[in-house]
Amino acid sequence: MSNVNAGTATALPSGVRSAARFVFDWIPLAIVTLLWEFASGTAVPAEVLPAPSVVAGEIRELLVTGEVFSHLFISLFRISVGLGLSIAAGVLLGIGMARLDPVENFFEVLLALTYPIPKTALVPLAILWLGVGTRTAILIVFLACLLPIVMNAYNAASDVDQNLVWSAKMMGTEGRRLFWKVIIPATIPEILTGVRQAIPIAFIALVSAELIASNQGIGYLILTAGQVGNYPTMFANIVIISAVAYFAVRGFEIGRERGLVWT
Amino acid sequence: MDGNVTISNLEKVYDDGSERTTAVEDLTFDIDAGEFVSVVGPSGCGKSTLLYLLAGFLDETSGTIEVDGTPIDGPGTDRGVVFQDYALFPWRTVMENVTYGLEEQDMGKEERRSTAQQYIDMMDLSGFEDNYPKELSGGMKQRVGLARTLAYGPKILLMDEPFGALDQPLREDLQDQLLDIWGDLDKTVVFVTHDVEEAVYLSDSVMVMTRHPGTKKTVTDVDIDRSKSRADIITSDEFTETKNEVWRSLREETQSGVQP
Amino acid sequence: MNLDRDFDVVGALKSVYSLVIILVLWEVVTQMGMIHYYFLPPLSDVLARFFELLANGELLENAYLTLKRAVVGLAIATVLGVVVGVLCARNAAVEWFFDPIIKIGYPVPIIALVPVFMLWFGINDTSKIIMVAVGTFWPIAVNARDSTRQVDKNLVWAAKMMGTSDWRLLRRVVLPAASPGIMTGLQIALPLSLIITFVFEMVAGGGGLGALEIEGVRSFQSTLTYAAIIAIMIVGLVLDRLLRVARARLLRWT
Repeated sequence: MSNVNAGTATALPSGVRSAARFVFDWIPLAIVTLLWEFASGTAVPAEVLPAPSVVAGEIRELLVTGEVFSHLFISLFRISVGLGLSIAAGVLLGIGMARLDPVENFFEVLLALTYPIPKTALVPLAILWLGVGTRTAILIVFLACLLPIVMNAYNAASDVDQNLVWSAKMMGTEGRRLFWKVIIPATIPEILTGVRQAIPIAFIALVSAELIASNQGIGYLILTAGQVGNYPTMFANIVIISAVAYFAVRGFEIGRERGLVWT
Repeated sequence: MDGNVTISNLEKVYDDGSERTTAVEDLTFDIDAGEFVSVVGPSGCGKSTLLYLLAGFLDETSGTIEVDGTPIDGPGTDRGVVFQDYALFPWRTVMENVTYGLEEQDMGKEERRSTAQQYIDMMDLSGFEDNYPKELSGGMKQRVGLARTLAYGPKILLMDEPFGALDQPLREDLQDQLLDIWGDLDKTVVFVTHDVEEAVYLSDSVMVMTRHPGTKKTVTDVDIDRSKSRADIITSDEFTETKNEVWRSLREETQSGVQP
Repeated sequence: MNLDRDFDVVGALKSVYSLVIILVLWEVVTQMGMIHYYFLPPLSDVLARFFELLANGELLENAYLTLKRAVVGLAIATVLGVVVGVLCARNAAVEWFFDPIIKIGYPVPIIALVPVFMLWFGINDTSKIIMVAVGTFWPIAVNARDSTRQVDKNLVWAAKMMGTSDWRLLRRVVLPAASPGIMTGLQIALPLSLIITFVFEMVAGGGGLGALEIEGVRSFQSTLTYAAIIAIMIVGLVLDRLLRVARARLLRWT
């Protein structure tokens, strides 16, 4: 019993201490924000650098009126489909290349030649083929995310513990069942690492495609707001897409920790 | 001769804000110049803390450590540390590792190289001068570690389980090599280990530390004829007797920890 | 598959057939008129355009513009990123100030700031260079910070023991020990610098390979777009190789 009491007695001070720690840690950001707030309209013209309070009001406005949501949903749709396709194709390709020599021989040179091309440089090509809009954005996200996922899946599938494969074979697992029951589960942690690397890349690809070749989406909103001089809207949308990108990564990391309890 | 170490009422308390842990308590101990002293104790007894205090990496909470009558003030070139994980600079070749300390003393290039070569030869590293540490085996790395420390001429060697990561035959080679050098160079050595046989084989005296908090428990003088071969020493009655005495003292400490 | 390894002739022959098939297929299918010229002109036309642009200097001029923006921006980011990153890891006050800023700044899809930089600095070279510097600063600073934090404490202690003073430690021990991580940051930042440059050029013009590509789309000269992409591929390959060679040379000890 005395242990329990001791625990509750120290809980409060440590809670207070961690709260104080939290405030202390974020003071620099508060300083920068305040400086920005005061600089806006004094040191720099307010239209060039809208104050954080103005941007915050604009974000609220966009969310309350709901006008941002149609664009946000289109952006999310594009990034989800593009990333989803690249996970499906990347995992198959990566594992296929690792386990089957003909697949590796066929794709190796193609990947080696295309990997130094920044995939956003292919936006004009995508416009040629698919025009301006959703399909181009999906293609660019897909291409940009493919390589990290292929590489991680490939490395993981090449390094699958041979003892696992042997013991599965001893127990009679063969062929396609071996693939689904041993190879895939053994490579999942590294595949997820590849996906984790791909998420920020996906956002860069998405915004690039939307800046260059779209009539919808958050990237398009940022560009047009800037072109017509509606700078608070431009900054507000940048904050929104950054927040979405941040929570996508954090959400994925939390999900991975929950899901992969055995690693 | 220089290299006397005087430890008086040494205490070290770690305080991480919420918890205070006493690692070393009320430790008083003298080491004479040229003496080889081993420190053994159960794991977590503060023997590494003691070594790091001697090195000056850590500050004592109270008490004093003096070298030749002067309190130590942080790390200094009068002492040299040999680390268990070697701590070689991976971006420097063997030669460049050994010359490091000499560069810090602003020695000229030619002199640096010839001095370093002397210690490289002494440690049987000739021919590997231009190799990087990653190309060496563990035993060779530790020989580079020793050469690097000896080259800049510290009076006192502080060794933190230096052979702990090596295989038994390699350990024995390096132990004998260390004894040879120690006989030639007149260094004071403080040698931390958890291996009783190693401690007795190498030392003039062995200090056993108590479990928690760490302090001096027993000091056993080792009196063996070092002109004999390893096999003769290991199998001699004096050696076995001394070893058993240290072992019993240590055993009490490891056992006492089992009780709640 | 190992994209890092040096060129290997046997391996290349074993796998290069897929490239040959694709290139031949490209030529045959387009010559037969099965794909509209605008979508995919024959390979021979693309190559002819590429060499024409190479001969009249247009490619070199635009490649120079792109390279200048990417490389100068990257160089500025490297200096600032390494200084801030290393100081963050070695100095509590700097760490306190910059850590939350890095936490917030690193996840921003930096490319979204292109319109902001157009507003602030215009569409000239300076604006593009600053944008590249700001965009590539984050991975360089984060990698410099993390690798400095991970420097083996015993290396620092060993150096101190041998008489290295605190301020010399940085140059003698900390920077060399952290250099592999700093190099990794540079390798992450390099493609990012090209991405930012291309997108900025596509959105804002002002020459460069990205602008050349988009010009091909707008003027319905798809051979121009394809020729520019070949040039981009070469630029990307060369820069990537250069960094790898530099790494192999400078970090021979790793």
